[in-house]
Amino acid sequence: MQRITSSALRHVRLQAPERGWSIPKDSFGLNRVSLLMYMSTVSNHDQVLEQVIKLVKEFDTIDASKVTEKADFQKDLNLDSLDRVELVMAIEQQFSIEIPDEKADKLTCCADVANYIISEADKKDAEKS
Amino acid sequence: MSATASFLARRAAQKERVRILYRRALKDTLNWAVHRHLFYEDADRLRERFEANKHVEDLETVERMIADGEATYNKWRHPDPYIVPWAPGGTKFTRNPTPPSGIFIEKERKI
Repeated sequence: MQRITSSALRHVRLQAPERGWSIPKDSFGLNRVSLLMYMSTVSNHDQVLEQVIKLVKEFDTIDASKVTEKADFQKDLNLDSLDRVELVMAIEQQFSIEIPDEKADKLTCCADVANYIISEADKKDAEKS
Repeated sequence: MSATASFLARRAAQKERVRILYRRALKDTLNWAVHRHLFYEDADRLRERFEANKHVEDLETVERMIADGEATYNKWRHPDPYIVPWAPGGTKFTRNPTPPSGIFIEKERKI
């Protein structure tokens, strides 16, 4: 048993550096991953919108077939105020952003949310440069 | 007429307060939860507590309930809440700022 474990460990140890080398080479791929993760340089509106719609569709009290770009959360998707709070929180966590209390109530449809996320990302970029 | 208007105005203000209270309480629930699966149960319980008083109409009673809720929230507020890393107070806030414009950085060449 001990021998099997040690040989397995050796195998892993042998493989580990190889994997370590492959990461810096593929710097473009790494950039892309970090872009997706941090949403720091979001420029593609459709991509964000698509992600928002997917998220909204997965929300359990929403009828997924009714979700469209412009469907109003309150009127068309029959969400009450507390549901909307939950939805906004889900969005915050998905995109790692913080939406202020007063702003959270004004997001009424998927397109709105996407616009807000992009405007926030742009603001962050503007602050950086 | 003005009585109805003021009634509606107070009603709207209360709705807003409940919304913000629920939002903060929900965030705090996540702060207290060690694992996400524990958070879901706690969040359901929190929602039930709000839903239980959904149909209360009397303004004064609602006012008192909101005050109670806010007091409970303040009492159980997390001492070290989660802050999004890039938000003020977060771990990455103002870390690694991009260099000022005008500076040219040669990117690493591919080998």
